[in-house]
Amino acid sequence: MDPSALIPATESLQVPWGWFQFLLVVTLFLHMLAMNVMLGTAFIAFVNLLRRSGEPDPLSREISGKIPFTIAFTVNFGVAPLLFVQVLYGHFLYTSSVLMANFWILVIFLLIAGYYLAYIFKYNYEPLHGGRVIVFGLAATVMLAVAFFMSSNFTLMQRPEAWTRCFDRPAGLLLNFGDPTFIPRFLHFVTAAVAVGGLSFALLYEFRHRRGDREAAPLVRSGCYWFSFATIVNFGFGFWFFGSLRPDVFDVSTVNGILAAVLLLTGIVLGAVSVISAMQFRVMRALVTVLPTIFIMILIRDLVRTAYLKPWFSVSDLEVVPQYSPLLAFLLFLTGGAVLIVWMLRLAWRTIKAGEVQS
Amino acid sequence: MNYPVWQLDAAGGGLLIALMAVVHVYISHFAVGGGLFLVVTEMKGIREGDRSIVDYVRRHTRFFLLLTMVAGSLTGVGIWFTISLLNPAATSELIHIFVFAWGIEWVFFTAEIVSLFIYYYTFGRMDDRNHVLIGWIYFGCAWMSLFFINGIIDFMLTPGAWLENRNFWSGLFNPTFWPALFFRSFLAFMLAGLYGFLTAVNIKEEQLRLRMVRYCALWLMAPFLLFLASAWWYRASLPLDLRSLIFERMPEIRIYLAAFTVLGPALMFGGLLMAIRMPRAVTRPLAGLLLLIGLMYMGSFEFIREAGRRPYIIRDYMYSTSIRTADMERVRQNGLLSEAKWTGNSSVTGENIADAGREIFNILCLPCHSIGGPLNDIRKLTRNYTPSGLEAKINGIHTASPYMPPFAGTADERRALAHYIGVNLNGRMDRQKDVALKTIAEDPVPEFDAEAADYVLLAWSDMGMKGMTDASNIWMIEPPGVTVNAQLIRRGPTPEVVVNGVTLSYAVDGEFMHPAARVSFWKNAQALYNVEIPEDTGLTGNGLTGTMTPGENVFTAAMLPIVPYTADNVFMPYPAVTLTASNAAGEILALTRVAAPISTELGCRVCHGGPWKVDGRSGITDVTAANVLEAHDRISGTRLQALAEEMGPVLCSRCHADASQNAPGNGEQLNLSAAIHGFHAGFVAGRGSFYCVLCHPADSGGATRAYRDIHRMLGLDCNYCHGEMEDLAVSLLKAELEDGKPHAADLLQNIRPANFAAIEDIAPRRPWDNLPDCLHCHLDFETPEDDTTFNRWTAGAEELYRNRTDESGMLRCPACHGSPHAVYPALNPYNGNRDILQPLQYQNNLFPIGANLNCPVCHTIDMEDELHHGNILRMFRNQ
Repeated sequence: MDPSALIPATESLQVPWGWFQFLLVVTLFLHMLAMNVMLGTAFIAFVNLLRRSGEPDPLSREISGKIPFTIAFTVNFGVAPLLFVQVLYGHFLYTSSVLMANFWILVIFLLIAGYYLAYIFKYNYEPLHGGRVIVFGLAATVMLAVAFFMSSNFTLMQRPEAWTRCFDRPAGLLLNFGDPTFIPRFLHFVTAAVAVGGLSFALLYEFRHRRGDREAAPLVRSGCYWFSFATIVNFGFGFWFFGSLRPDVFDVSTVNGILAAVLLLTGIVLGAVSVISAMQFRVMRALVTVLPTIFIMILIRDLVRTAYLKPWFSVSDLEVVPQYSPLLAFLLFLTGGAVLIVWMLRLAWRTIKAGEVQS
Repeated sequence: MNYPVWQLDAAGGGLLIALMAVVHVYISHFAVGGGLFLVVTEMKGIREGDRSIVDYVRRHTRFFLLLTMVAGSLTGVGIWFTISLLNPAATSELIHIFVFAWGIEWVFFTAEIVSLFIYYYTFGRMDDRNHVLIGWIYFGCAWMSLFFINGIIDFMLTPGAWLENRNFWSGLFNPTFWPALFFRSFLAFMLAGLYGFLTAVNIKEEQLRLRMVRYCALWLMAPFLLFLASAWWYRASLPLDLRSLIFERMPEIRIYLAAFTVLGPALMFGGLLMAIRMPRAVTRPLAGLLLLIGLMYMGSFEFIREAGRRPYIIRDYMYSTSIRTADMERVRQNGLLSEAKWTGNSSVTGENIADAGREIFNILCLPCHSIGGPLNDIRKLTRNYTPSGLEAKINGIHTASPYMPPFAGTADERRALAHYIGVNLNGRMDRQKDVALKTIAEDPVPEFDAEAADYVLLAWSDMGMKGMTDASNIWMIEPPGVTVNAQLIRRGPTPEVVVNGVTLSYAVDGEFMHPAARVSFWKNAQALYNVEIPEDTGLTGNGLTGTMTPGENVFTAAMLPIVPYTADNVFMPYPAVTLTASNAAGEILALTRVAAPISTELGCRVCHGGPWKVDGRSGITDVTAANVLEAHDRISGTRLQALAEEMGPVLCSRCHADASQNAPGNGEQLNLSAAIHGFHAGFVAGRGSFYCVLCHPADSGGATRAYRDIHRMLGLDCNYCHGEMEDLAVSLLKAELEDGKPHAADLLQNIRPANFAAIEDIAPRRPWDNLPDCLHCHLDFETPEDDTTFNRWTAGAEELYRNRTDESGMLRCPACHGSPHAVYPALNPYNGNRDILQPLQYQNNLFPIGANLNCPVCHTIDMEDELHHGNILRMFRNQ
């Protein structure tokens, strides 16, 4: 069967696709940051607890207090890119979602379970005793499972040639195992999350250290170790992922290919610099290099999708029936909302300064 | 149609979205109203200088945060996931139309999270003024989330001007935007009180507990009147057709309407109860119970709103099957399987009918129906239908059930879908082969001595086939009763029709002599007709033997209590009656026999379930009959089932006039024929006579085969005379409309004429008065030039074939030509000669009396004048 016959028709856009592409990349960056901190810190806390047979430690206690925040913002920041990706690629994403529907809907229930497990962990850290490992192990597993299904869906959506498999079995049970990029991509993203998780608590303790907390230094180092080790491992996964990609993604005879290659090289260099910085415990420099690395990786991720979908679809094909006033309204509300949030955070920060807020 | 289908089967039918959505809306409305509750209650504590109230708010905030932030927000995302799996096409539409509204809502969602975290985690740390301000910001953001989501939800119900201009703002601020916003806001405030009970009843200090419980009760009850006013406004804002659909024409949601009506006051009563000082052992479970009632209250409303949107997912734009209204005609023309992208079959063949049917089911039915699940179970809903009945049901699904979309596909696809549901899911089959008739030996032909006989006795039954409903435990349309007529002719060169000085007696064949043992009519007669009718006696007082009543030229034995069951309970729809003419001295002048056809092979069970009642071939069981009443109650809003329970069986002609029974009806309802044909025409369109014989006992492979005359042998089916079902129904309904029956218009709007461009082209007709007539085709008794007679009707009952006479005014048409539907020559399916006994008796052939120049049968001599009608003096054309 010709896979192109399976690709659904889609609707027109209200503004040119570039707007949505821009919003998608920016909001996905926020989501990835929050997700990396959430998943990474959860994983690290779990390993810490496991190594200590569930005995309490400052790091897992700290993470237990923060994890509900990171889940909340991961979910929240996930909503916007999910919205914008549906505007551009909805007809691909809905299709792959239906093909793996049983797993895709499970994501919601896993998230709810993970969220409440995080709150149990937070509010019952001390009384849980040995149960900490179990509760947090479950929470971390749930988050990994969510990441796994997300990876499956977002790779399956860009492979219409794999969709025909659904005719061999009922729709709803497909996972993208036939895709050689799926596993390395999942491992690459998850390992990146562990690295960023390490860097995030290194950063937290770096602030505390600068404010005179003497006990923070070992945790800064620990965070930097986690970041460095995970990132080094991730170079391996990254090359595996790179090797599994179709050659045309980095075909330097095309503009997309050149762009992808340049971005990849830049990302590798920045990643290497961030590792070196972390190994020197220079947290801020590591942060300054890792943030653009993440952004670059998101751009590469997008270019990979563009290349994979090229035989079937290009966002520039989408019809535009202009209506700019809704965009204008959105931008106004976005600006107003951002100002309001910044004002609230500053107000809260002033309160925090008056006395450390226990989250 | 564009997307693959998630085959949820038992978990389908909207179960997933119902669970996800009801939980979400219940929590998300709490997230709005509860936000206001938090900040206002905190202000109250501050204003009154009562820190215990502020402490209560803090504890309540933690509960609020855990509930709304986790379950509330994630089920919200869950709804999005779910609809994109169950109806990706509609989701895509909503995303593309309202991407920036969703975006704005996301901005408020983000601000909600930030403000709520700050509000909770800075309790007691931030100064009161700023803390309250954060509380107000939270509420403002939560309400603005509602503001935008409300616009999108109500757009689906009432897209308004967007349908014309495709403008974002027209869609968002659609006709029900404002009333729905107020409605939901007041409901949210009430829910704040309801959720408040949960934490307030757990306050340890008794005085504070009582104060706060009463305070929560105030939150629950104070907005109620405003809520009711906004509900009325919401209702009034609905377009008229939508309002009528929801509140009048959608029986499936009556239970939710009733629940919504009852549960509101129940909540108010609960609020009053809670305000009474009671021990916690009472208030705690009561608070839980009220929360549950609130969930049901909210759920009822959401079910009503969702159901009211049907058959669309976006009203007047996209059906719930994901097919755009603009694409419907194309899909019907080209076929769903060829238009859909994700089907393995591109058309229906004999081999793939089940597989193709399943694929059609996946696309058209699964969005709303489960297979064996708790919601909208297709098996349960269709279990009464045979595949043929289901095919008819699907054909007119949108007419009787205006909340169902019209079938989007070809006739072959409709059949495949009916096959899949009927055969593969329900295990029901249509009749696979012709009914094996229990034939009987041919009748001995009564003697006639052409040389010596003085009299000729001609007889016929006035209907040729009488339908009888043997479901009298539940309802009655047609009672037992066959009317037999006879004319006695004194032979001679100038024959004479004799009625005076002679007696015509009749006797039904012995095996049919005790009908009361076969059917329950006589047990129910008192309840049906309010008169005592002795067993084995007809409605006119005639028994199974007796004397015929002489009329002007005709003897009549009206409504003989004949049923089509022998003493051995064998179905035999052609009992015979022996007629004997004798003079005053008791001397027999003439004797003949005639068929008195009556059948109970009425196919109600095809759509109303149940088996045949007798011998797997005829009769209406109580199961079938009860389902008919259930459907009548459901669709027409009657309470006939209850009436049948309380007062005995329902006599249909009590409300619906039936001229064949001289029943005037109640003057308001459509006559029986118009009602039944008018209602069912929406279903049984487009298959010619196939559907006529699903109900009437005229199927050529059925147990009765009532249509058995020369016209059938020549290949003419029901439609040649009576017209296609749609046209026939229109003709009946138009007459009712002329007679001031407005309901006729409701049914008429569901029918598209089959052979006419417009309804206006079809002549109105009244049943049993205006019928097709032989002379409409046989102009001047000549060979017909046309073989269809629809739209030309007899002017009245006196012009009917059975009542009309020859040109002499003495002989009735059927006296020589036989009964309607069995005119000579006819071939009785049970007994080859039973319908032609008189031609055989008097002429030794099958043809009409006098045909083939057989004038001497009566005249004793050959005739040269065409006295009876033109073109009579010749050989029968279709030998």
